[in-house]
Amino acid sequence: MAADQFACTAAVVEETPDAVVVSNLGVASYVLAEVAPRKRNFYLWGSMGSTTATGVGVAHGTDEQVTVLTGDGSLTMSLGVLSTVATADQSNLTVVCFDNGIYGTTGGQPTTSVDFAAAAEAQGVPATRVEADTAFTAAYADAVDRDGPSLIECTVEPTDPEARPTFDFPHIPRRVCESLTE
Amino acid sequence: MSWEAEIVDGLIDAEIDLVTQLPDGAMGTVLEGIQDADVDTLLVEREESAVAAASGAWVTGERAAVMCQSSGLANAINAIGSLSVPARLPFLALVTRRGNLGEFNIAQVPAGYGLPAMMDEMGVRHTVVSGPGSLRKTVRMAAESAFSTRTPYVIFLNATVTGYGQEAQ
Repeated sequence: MAADQFACTAAVVEETPDAVVVSNLGVASYVLAEVAPRKRNFYLWGSMGSTTATGVGVAHGTDEQVTVLTGDGSLTMSLGVLSTVATADQSNLTVVCFDNGIYGTTGGQPTTSVDFAAAAEAQGVPATRVEADTAFTAAYADAVDRDGPSLIECTVEPTDPEARPTFDFPHIPRRVCESLTE
Repeated sequence: MSWEAEIVDGLIDAEIDLVTQLPDGAMGTVLEGIQDADVDTLLVEREESAVAAASGAWVTGERAAVMCQSSGLANAINAIGSLSVPARLPFLALVTRRGNLGEFNIAQVPAGYGLPAMMDEMGVRHTVVSGPGSLRKTVRMAAESAFSTRTPYVIFLNATVTGYGQEAQ
């Protein structure tokens, strides 16, 4: 059983329309660009493994909800970052790990199997694992309401979105900045 | 004034909001001074995350600084090269530099000694400080330049400033 990454990403924006959404390079950013192109999308074009830490930095400087959309390959690369999430202890930060079981941007090679929810809990971050769209929507609402950071591990079917964020990388964070400070 | 106090005052002058960092014995007094001045600090698990968090803070209007050892900056090369520089996300870095005068540990030499050249190759401006004089001004000016130009700026602190281990003697 697996959720649909498009539906789950749309649910994030519907539940938290003012959130800054920091999206991992590749599939997470492509899906976000397709379902909800918006000023507060902080698409990354590089730095695999650094998406969650980027979100921690954003969450430090704003009271708005900050949601990280990362993938299983990227989070595996920096699994210890969840200890930083726990240390920062930000009530406005939610990390969503879409686990499609592959490195989606490099040709679909299989990833290793990691229990991300258990890894998060072990580092002090409350976590939930879901495998369906409705369960994700409920888990995300709970995570946003929680007074502290949390992680949602969401098993999804692999997908190959057509949309791309702008290639003008400096424009992306500048647009987020203007949206937060205007 | 001690070199540590010079750095703390420079960070305050530069209106730094957040310092992301990993522990470094040489910078312990600096960290205490920053925290006493009520500047937020964030302990991260790896220097790559220090760079990413500092870069992310910029979109909220904050100014962030990274504090780490030179080996840690080497850990963060990809975050600098594929996030901070191309997305123009500025931060100030204060890096204790191993691998030069007084270095006893060969494992610290390739990255520590070579990092200024690596930063040059990546187009990241930097200055290597070998004496404590005018550090306050250096920190302030480096921060101003970083945030005015939306580019990272690295201050390397040689062991002639921070001291070095007795193992070398």
